[in-house]
Parts: sequence; C-alpha cells; structure tokens
Amino acid sequence: MTSIIEVEDFSFRYRNASSAALRHLSFEVERGSFFCIVGANGSGKSTLCNALVGLIPHYFVGRSGGGIRVKGNQVADTSIPELSKHIGLVFQNPFNQLSYTAGTVAEELAYGLGNHGVPRELMEEKVRQVAALMHLESVIDKNPLELSGGQVQRVAFGSTFIMEPDILVLDECTAQLDPLGSEEIFDIVKRLNDRGITVVMVDHDMERVARCADQVMVLDGGRLVAIGSPQEVLSDPRTMDHGVDLPDFAKLSLALQAEGYPVDRIHTTEEPTVSMVKELLS
Amino acid sequence: MKIELQELVHSYPSGDRALDGVNLTFEGQEPVAIIGQNGAGKTTLVKHLNGILRPSSGHVLIDGTDIETASTAKWSAKLGYIFQNPDDQLFLESVRKEFEFGPRQIGMGQEEIDRRMERVADLVGLTGKLDTHPFDLGPTDKKFCTIGAVLMMNTQVVIFDEPTCGQDKAGNERLGRIIAELGRQGRLCIAISHDMKFVSTNFSRVVLMCQGKVLLDGPKDQVFSQESVLKQAYVTPPPLTRVAQESGLDRPVFTVPAFIEAVKDAGQH
Repeated sequence: MTSIIEVEDFSFRYRNASSAALRHLSFEVERGSFFCIVGANGSGKSTLCNALVGLIPHYFVGRSGGGIRVKGNQVADTSIPELSKHIGLVFQNPFNQLSYTAGTVAEELAYGLGNHGVPRELMEEKVRQVAALMHLESVIDKNPLELSGGQVQRVAFGSTFIMEPDILVLDECTAQLDPLGSEEIFDIVKRLNDRGITVVMVDHDMERVARCADQVMVLDGGRLVAIGSPQEVLSDPRTMDHGVDLPDFAKLSLALQAEGYPVDRIHTTEEPTVSMVKELLS
Repeated sequence: MKIELQELVHSYPSGDRALDGVNLTFEGQEPVAIIGQNGAGKTTLVKHLNGILRPSSGHVLIDGTDIETASTAKWSAKLGYIFQNPDDQLFLESVRKEFEFGPRQIGMGQEEIDRRMERVADLVGLTGKLDTHPFDLGPTDKKFCTIGAVLMMNTQVVIFDEPTCGQDKAGNERLGRIIAELGRQGRLCIAISHDMKFVSTNFSRVVLMCQGKVLLDGPKDQVFSQESVLKQAYVTPPPLTRVAQESGLDRPVFTVPAFIEAVKDAGQH
C-alpha cells in the first residue's frame, strides 16, 4: 500500500477571514482508493479540495501551515500546470470551472490539452472520446454558456477527465444533475476508480458514500474528527454530532437494535439491510 | 385557494411538447411534491402557475378565473416562486434589502415590513445576518435568503424549485421546518425535488411527471408503491421504502419509526 496524497498538519486561513478554514489536518490517501470527504456546509470540504489541487496557495491568498504532497510533490512548491498532470478538480459550481474563452464545447474540452501542447490530431481524438463518454455529442458545437446546468456539469467533468490525471477530486460534482444523470456520471467515476484512478469525493449522499468509499473522512469546523472505513464511520451515531447524517440503513439498524431485535451489525448499505430485515421477519 | 390545470399543453417553437395535456388540481394546504427526471416538464409546469409561461393550449384557473385574463404581476401577489439557483434571484446588497424589496414594490408600510422581517428571518434562520451581503453568505444561507425574500410577500402559495440542491443535513432540516410551518399557516407548498428522502419526509402528496405528462398523482404511499411506473420514469423510491419493499413488508414506509412499527406488526401475524 502506498500513499498518493500525504497531508501533514495542514492548516489554512483565508486572508481577512476571522477564523481558520482548515485546522491541523493530517491524513493519507492510498493510491487507487475511493476516498470520501463528508461534513456540514462550511466545514472546510471545498477548501480542502482547493488545497489538494494547488488553488490554495497559488490562487487563493491566505496563511497556511504544514504541507500537502501529491505524488511526492509539495503542492506549495509545484505550479498548477505541473500539478494538473497528476490531479484534477471538478468544481461544485461548474460555471466556476469554464474557461470563458472557449466558443464551443469542443474548445472547452480541449482547453487544458492545448495548454499542455498536445498535438491537434490527438486532441481532436480525445475530445471525441470524452464527448461520447459524457453524452455531449449533440452539443459539441454549442457555446458552453447556452447549455443547461446539467450539461455544463458534464462539460466540467469532461474537461477535467480529458487530462487523464491519476487523481480525480470531485466537489459535489453531480449537484446540478437529476438522479439518473448523476448515477451515469457516478458509474463513470466508479469505472475510472476500478481502472486504478484515485478518487477523492465530497458528497452529501450518505447512501452513495457508504456504497462506494474505501475511506471516509469527517470534517467539522475545519478539523478532522473521524476517519476510517464507511462501516466504521457511518455506523457510528457520534458521526451525527458533526452535522453529518448516517445512511438510512444504519439508522434503521440502530433503531431495530434499540428495540431489542437481534441485530449483530449496524449495516450501512442496502443489500445486507434487506437480508437482516428478512431474517428478522422469518 | 384553488389552482386548476386543464388540458395544459406547452409547445416549443420546434413543435416538441414540454407539457402534453396536464390535468391537475392544487387545493388546501397539503404540501405537494412534483418528481420526475430532468426534462419531464416539472419546471415548465410550475412556471405556468404564476404566468411566467403562457399555455400553448389549455387553461390555468386560479379560484375559477383563467390567468390569461390578468398580468403576471397580479398573480405573483398570490404565488411566490423560489428559483433553483439563488444567483438568478438575488441582486441587492444586503439580506435586509432583499427581504424589503418585494413588500416595498407593493407599497407596504415600514412597520408591517419590520414585523414580517422579524418572523421570516427567524423562520429561515437568518436573524443575525440581515446586514450581510447575500454573496458573502454560504450556499445554504444564500438559498434561505431567496426563500425568505419570497416568504416576505406572504403569498397563499409558495413554489420551491429544487430546494435541497447542495444542502447538508442541517439545511434539509431547516427546509423541513419551513414547509411544516407554512402548512400550519394554511399556505400551500408546491416543490419540485429529485431528493426522494426529502420528498417522503416532508410531503404527503406526490405528483410523478414523465415526458410532459402526469403519470401518478396521489398520497406518497400510493405513489411510491407503484414500482414499475416509477421505474418507467427513472425514479427510485427512497432507501427505507426500497428495503421495506424488498424484504416483503406489507406496506410502504418512509421513516424509521414507521419501519419499526411495520416489523412489529409483521411479527404478530
């Protein structure tokens, strides 16, 4: 097991902010793992995403302490273009991610590749592949600003994915999509993870986190308050003290246990919960 | 107040129908959730309720009067619409000014504005932030600012377009409290939502839309029992409801206490 991201005693305070956004975070992300960050709004999740990809300290001004290494590179000492070869961020608000210089979806998708001097033919091939993957073929010649919120989110995802980074950081990147659209994107993320891409994801959907994550980290007020497997973190009622819901499956298991039913494990996913209830009913 | 949609059709210039013959009645104070995939016609539907969009054919009647006979401004006094994206709605430099704007437009006196402001700010949880610039609010509070600005108008009907988008646990609970309070005040809430947990926790009536048509309309337990129709509209019932269905419980359940009751009852048979 090797770590692809190492965060050591990292703190950050935005300039003019009255308190720190992140406080003394230390954790590691295993290469190839699916790592989820959960926490209430304002707990520091998006700030951490910005720090992992270098927008902090290269773009957002503030005071930081400690360090973050991505594939061995100190983020503070590595330029954003260099970092973007290794780690890519899909923003929570896709409109924050658009270049606002591209006239078409194709140009928007190709934007990062252009910055890296990828030859035109290869660029066109990659744009075609990503457009197909993200269901963007029909809007490929449209202006990104004329698209629906869901389509812009697909463009944002595609423009990160096209860079083929080893690490994908996803900050609630499906918030603009309906459940079907969001599951589609999610299946793609899952497939990429199966192929060895490390995924760091912020999500409020606890059932999905429980289903997909190898590791879950809980932030509260910029501090790391819990980290472990989804089974450990999302079956523990104390997680709710930090403004984070448990999956409904765990809440049901806990309630059945409290009623005196023989529940030997607090389940966090659907199938074992169904088996448990069937057993209780038989 | 009664809203009736009769054979409502909305066609795009291309000839495609966003709404394809919708018949619905909204009445009373029982909160209604409208569910369905993107493109099912949900937002197009609610934009007809306050005259933002006009029907290609069919009728929208409010208390028996066709809204074709009046201007949007007149109906907006009866219906409040909260946009999905707060940035589409907010444009002033403080929460207080956002809250005052609507009432000022209809000539409400300062005393009444202040009285409402205190109540609304408390309900949406922004009492301490009235002098903050809306764009300095976090995403949750920004959403509650748009909700507050609409609630200031005291409309009989409040329409929410995707209110849960990006909300955390505390945000969803605050939203649930607002919907319950509006019901207690006898006001009708209509919400478009993709979040089936949120729908099943806070709404009693559910309307399922697909391709411009209403596929199901009724109490949530009936709607969420129709697995095959839901599937056809790409809607998945909420997690606890699925567990209850898959493990063979005899009724639809939406909450942990209801689930426990159903297990207890099944044990006694």
